[in-house]
Amino acid sequence: MLRTTLMSAATAALVAGTANAQTEIVLWHAMGGQLGETVNALATQFNEAQSDFAITPVYKGGYEDTLTATIAAFRAGEQPNVVQVFDAGAATIIGAEGAVIPAEDLITGAGLAFNADDYIPGVRYFYADSSDKMVGMPFNSSTPILYYNVEALNEAGVEPPVTWEQFEEIAPALVEAGYVPLAQSHSPWIMTENFHSRHNLQFATNNNGFDGADGTEILVNNDAIKTHFTKLKEWLDAGWYGYYGAGWGDNQTPFENGDVAMWLGSSASFGGLRNSTDFEFSATFLPYWESITPEPVSTFIGGAALFAMSGHDDTENAGVAAFFDFLASAETQKFWHMETGYVPITQAAYDLTKESGYYEETPQAEVGTLQLTQAAADWNKGYRMGFYVQIRDVMNREYGRIFAGETDVESAFAVIEEEGNRLLERFAQTTN
Amino acid sequence: MAVTEIDSSTESPSTTKVASADKRPRRKTRVFDHVVLLLGVLLMMGPIIVAFTTSTFDHVTIHRQGMQFGWGGEFLETYKNVLYQEGGFTGEVTGLLMTQNSLILGLGFAIGKIVVSMLAAYAIVYFRFPLATFSFWVIFTTLLLPLEVRILPSYEVVQQLGMLNTYSGLIIPLIASATGTFFFRQFFKSVPNELMEAARIDGAGPVQFFWDILVPLSKTMMAAIFIIMFVVGWNQYLWPTLMTTEEGYFTLVRGIRNIMQQMIGADIPEYNEALAMAILAMLPPALVIIIFQRMFIKGLVEQEK
Amino acid sequence: MEKAQFTSPWLPYLLLAPQMIIIAIFFLWPAAEAIRASFFLEDPFFGTATFVGLQNYSDAFAASDYQRTAWFTFVFVVLVSLISLGIGMMLAVSADRVLRGKGSYKTLLMWVYAIAPPVAGLIGVMLFDQHIGPLVEFVAYFGWDLQVGVDYWDTGFAMIVVATWKQVPYCFIFFLSGLQSIPTSVKEASAIDCRSETRRFWTITFPLLAPTTFFLLILNITYAMFETFGMIDQIVKDQPGNSPVTLVYKVFRDGFRGNDIGGSSAQSVILMILVLALTVAQFRLIERRIHYT
Repeated sequence: MLRTTLMSAATAALVAGTANAQTEIVLWHAMGGQLGETVNALATQFNEAQSDFAITPVYKGGYEDTLTATIAAFRAGEQPNVVQVFDAGAATIIGAEGAVIPAEDLITGAGLAFNADDYIPGVRYFYADSSDKMVGMPFNSSTPILYYNVEALNEAGVEPPVTWEQFEEIAPALVEAGYVPLAQSHSPWIMTENFHSRHNLQFATNNNGFDGADGTEILVNNDAIKTHFTKLKEWLDAGWYGYYGAGWGDNQTPFENGDVAMWLGSSASFGGLRNSTDFEFSATFLPYWESITPEPVSTFIGGAALFAMSGHDDTENAGVAAFFDFLASAETQKFWHMETGYVPITQAAYDLTKESGYYEETPQAEVGTLQLTQAAADWNKGYRMGFYVQIRDVMNREYGRIFAGETDVESAFAVIEEEGNRLLERFAQTTN
Repeated sequence: MAVTEIDSSTESPSTTKVASADKRPRRKTRVFDHVVLLLGVLLMMGPIIVAFTTSTFDHVTIHRQGMQFGWGGEFLETYKNVLYQEGGFTGEVTGLLMTQNSLILGLGFAIGKIVVSMLAAYAIVYFRFPLATFSFWVIFTTLLLPLEVRILPSYEVVQQLGMLNTYSGLIIPLIASATGTFFFRQFFKSVPNELMEAARIDGAGPVQFFWDILVPLSKTMMAAIFIIMFVVGWNQYLWPTLMTTEEGYFTLVRGIRNIMQQMIGADIPEYNEALAMAILAMLPPALVIIIFQRMFIKGLVEQEK
Repeated sequence: MEKAQFTSPWLPYLLLAPQMIIIAIFFLWPAAEAIRASFFLEDPFFGTATFVGLQNYSDAFAASDYQRTAWFTFVFVVLVSLISLGIGMMLAVSADRVLRGKGSYKTLLMWVYAIAPPVAGLIGVMLFDQHIGPLVEFVAYFGWDLQVGVDYWDTGFAMIVVATWKQVPYCFIFFLSGLQSIPTSVKEASAIDCRSETRRFWTITFPLLAPTTFFLLILNITYAMFETFGMIDQIVKDQPGNSPVTLVYKVFRDGFRGNDIGGSSAQSVILMILVLALTVAQFRLIERRIHYT
């Protein structure tokens, strides 16, 4: 149904386009499938809402394809006005000073209102610079939460855990009931990056890397996380934890099939889970270790942001600013949030969605936002590290080796620290 | 098959006997050959048949239970959707448009490659000149550096030549690879020397020799290369994705990638549509194979004349 | 035997010109850029670069899993090249011999080749899915707990199977065209001289197929080496983790995905030199023994 409405809307926009002298702006994105259709719907809405600008979204393949296409185009002076870049690529595009116009500058420069406090705390800083100025416009954002199979937990007669200590108490009952108690997708994102944010632990020097690439070192070789992975390995051996490799879906499937009772995934996963499960499931916050901190703080986001590329004239930039402004509006965010499952990026959008009664039907959809609005602290704004794709690869590899029994926790984290720092040093050399 | 007929009707009785001995191998080998071929077809086609049966199920079933062997009953709807749905922002991305673009890419690439590489191989094998070996190795190195590594400079070159968003910009840079040249070199080297000497005695020059003798002789080879290269061009993904910014240039493979690439979010990827499109995308190359597969025999007949 | 050759001062250059011009513009120049980049660490957007000498090269070798990756690459390339060569040849010889159903066999066996690489990868991923893959369920009957994505060699096994599956039809097509170009007179003569099919194959058909075999061996090696990383990426589901990967996959991952242009270029220069040396050696050692005419 979305398709047909889209079609007629697109035709209408085209007709309108020929009537006025509109400024064309181009958006390159990496959203395939239904998400891509929702992006098209957003563009159509924007084009219909005003008559000065016409945005054209172009699907450019996966995240990497899109970023590489942008780099190639930028070097040749053919860059689009807006491009979608994923979290781990943020340091590359932000580090290339002058390649992007900070979203905040763009919006205020076009005479539109911008107030950083409108944005949800966990979202606000992730794509910001060291002075908290928003550089990338958060677009598709989600955060890790714990999903649980309600029937499984009832069978075992246990409550969803708030802390990992509680998890250790309930795990035997779940095993007794015939379940693997826990699985999780994406260890670097959930069990490492957000492990640090949840416990308010510093993740990298230079203010988690925000102050610049020079001399930034990763602080992953610490006792807190090593204890956590030692525990994970113990749980794995005891049958409390299922490790199904580094692939996202491989860890999600056993939860969907009812073999695993609790699964750590993305707050945006619930829409898919609703279609792929035939049991009642719910969600709660990412657990924490009470022994590390009794007061957990908010996690940060993953996903991707929109960046305004430099090298375009003021009129086009004004169009991009108008588009960003449109995106940040409560109505648009509510539409996007409900259509895709990604979190709304502003408080107003969240309030609007709440008023609509949406969360009463689907309480799982609210968990991510609630977790992102928990207490702010020093080390949960995000991180900025270059060559981060490769650093995550090293993490994933070493975690796999820990769980396969090929290495121990101590040496695995030593390797991650060493190779991570080597990569960061290399990255710093690219941004002199 | 045609050969046998020509042979048996024109040649002496003794040849006929030998030919029939050759054509009628003992029962044991014949059974063995059929077993090998049936097993081969099963192993090769099996996954594709399963992909087809799976494509008739709905995407939730596929997501939850994996590949399916039965008949899912969603065949008509899924395939109709894939063929007629108008995708993309402009709504101009249809199955037809993507097929057309893939065809242009496949044909342009295959024909361009055969022409360019046959000429080059002819020069390398049939001419004595100082740079022959060197040229061959230069051509060969194109196999050793994937496009992904040289993509940024490649893009810059194409942009400077004003070839972004053009079919020639899509096709010509892809022709710069050695497979065809290498293959024709191998073939030309195995063409009997006598042919050329005879041609020389007849007073044929290099151009005449090439056109009158080598080209007809190479028909089977050209058919093989055509099949291979058509499919390579047909299946291009990365280069077209980077090179073109207009939805009018979408190809089938890009369409398939688009459907498959559903992120961890709102919904489950539409595996059924991706697989259906993949099955449909195989039909034009299959047609090419059926047509050119006949040339594998025809080439032989011509050679025997 | 020396090939009879024409001599002409300009014709060979004219014939080579189209290919060489395309290569010079669309390959050599970009490739030279890539090689230059291997000595720099550069910002991808602006191309502003710091000269770092051989640092990219030493860093490539210093990676803790370099040895393991190199070893897997070797095993992968050897197995994929030889198995697809063997199966392709067996099928082509059989398809050339049978009378009934020849056309159908040929069409069906070539058909697989038409499938787009990402789809071949997708089918492989679905067949080998560790939870719901039919192949995994099948081997479970034999007590093999195949865990693609978790167990190192199980994952490697899946990669080898999928890569071979995709390459067999390619070998089949070229072997068949090679067999078809053996003159009928030779086949007939051999049928008189040698009644044993097996011996006839090894003494007559195989030597005649040698040029094709050699060609395919080289191309299979470059295929397994340079063209399989997309499939590997699909099998590891975007996250190599502790799974086996090939050296070219690393090049792709670091450069295309991680935007480390210098590091990735250095790795691919190493591979280029390695494979080029290997190929030259093969030409020297093997091609000399091949009788082309």
